Amino acid sequence: MNTAEQFNSELEPLAITARQDCLAGLRRWDVFARLGWFEVKRRYRRTIIGPLWGTLNLAVFILALGSVGGGLLGKNMSEYLPFLATGMIMWVFISTIISESCSLFVASQNLFRQMQFSYSTLAYALVWRNFIVFLHNIAVYFILIILLAPHLLTPWTLLAIPGIMLIILNGVWISLLLGMICLRFRDLQQLVATFIQIGMFITPVFWPPESLNGIRRMIFVDLNPLYSLMEVVRSPLLGVPATESLYIAAVIVTVVGWTITFLFFGQFRKRIAYWA
Amino acid sequence: MTALILDHVNVDFPIYGAQRSLRKVLLERATGGLIGRDEKRSNRITIRALVDISLDLKDGDRLGLVGHNGAGKSTLLKVMAGVYEPASGRVLTRGRITPLFETMPGIDLEDTGYENTITAGMLFGMTREEVEQKIPEIEEFSELGEYFALPVRSYSAGMITRLGFALATAIEPGILLMDEGIGAGDARFAERAAKRMDDFIGRSRILVLASHSEALIHSTCNKAALMKAGKILEVGRVDDIFNNYHKLMSTKL
Repeated sequence: MNTAEQFNSELEPLAITARQDCLAGLRRWDVFARLGWFEVKRRYRRTIIGPLWGTLNLAVFILALGSVGGGLLGKNMSEYLPFLATGMIMWVFISTIISESCSLFVASQNLFRQMQFSYSTLAYALVWRNFIVFLHNIAVYFILIILLAPHLLTPWTLLAIPGIMLIILNGVWISLLLGMICLRFRDLQQLVATFIQIGMFITPVFWPPESLNGIRRMIFVDLNPLYSLMEVVRSPLLGVPATESLYIAAVIVTVVGWTITFLFFGQFRKRIAYWA
Repeated sequence: MTALILDHVNVDFPIYGAQRSLRKVLLERATGGLIGRDEKRSNRITIRALVDISLDLKDGDRLGLVGHNGAGKSTLLKVMAGVYEPASGRVLTRGRITPLFETMPGIDLEDTGYENTITAGMLFGMTREEVEQKIPEIEEFSELGEYFALPVRSYSAGMITRLGFALATAIEPGILLMDEGIGAGDARFAERAAKRMDDFIGRSRILVLASHSEALIHSTCNKAALMKAGKILEVGRVDDIFNNYHKLMSTKL
């Protein structure tokens, strides 16, 4: 090993750590932004209104479910529609990140088997493209709120921005963690799909949390991490700040999620190429 | 000073979802890595793909990897590229590594040639500006003309190959890793490509090339390593290594 001794101080290990991976991915924001943006762009090549099809789809869903749900719950439309719209927009944002996370590494093997890759890049790209889609969907909210309930736009509405940042922060760990586990155990993808489907009904997306009480409320509302993440954006969008306990819950989810993911990523990062 | 050092590197591939019968088949297979069991979990099958590899490469080294299919050449290249982290042992480097296993990583047929070139260049570690600077040269060399602005889906196979070649050879290679040469397409283009390829390899500080082509290794490498069943049997002059390789092949038959 004469070369090794000669240049020992200048040689660097080829292997990179989880921390280096996360930072390298962030530094190349141009790469993840491009990968994310092109995913959105490709999906709608040769269509006329592009990603707005998803938005239109969501708008129709909200209007249809809004008229049925408003009737069922005995609420007037100008009150129920903004509630439903904000719930659905946030739910789509969060749940799409979760379900797409499962194929994060399975679908991009051809990239990271060709070169040393900062895996975090893929997670950032996934969250970024969902954020772009979210920016399209939020148009539904603005149209509804201006037409039906302009009084809901208050200074508190701006609190939605830190809420969205919380979701983005959580989106990254969710993508990395689920991406890794689903790469190793391919059954999990189906399980997550089922969970997401049920999640939409058991999380207060289109029914108000007040309508539950007792143990049920504790399980499906207070202890539901998806509810806390959704609500830190939804409440401000409806003109009131989210309660303190919701923020605390969302921060706990973020810290615990990142801690688990970081440990897991640190331990198994080097196995990802082997699992593929 | 550029360097690439492998220090007692071992690589095991886990085989997931292997049935008993497949396990038997694998055990009876003549070539390829050694098949063993995970020490901790005896029911998991692993293939030992690289065994105790130590190499010491520095500026000016052009190493050819020689060996029959399944000897571990490609796996070794991927370890050098940082795709696979060794189960034990270390890989130390100084200098940028350019793995050219695929000339257009991240290629998407719906994107235009231009878009794909930018994406691939950025994945190879360049900034957007650096790729943009090379675009005129790539466009000119690949002879795509108007096609450069069209989706790659409309290209012939030869056009994709030419674009990949033009992009790959525009990179500043540093430590260059190649599995076989880079495809260059039809005869007329191949002639132009050969000169560009020479220049490209000349710019690299270290080259590691795995190939079955004796002629290619003879013309590009100044040393060679003979591999068998995941081990490097010897490193030496290209002529000597090929002599021993032919001997190895004939004794096996």
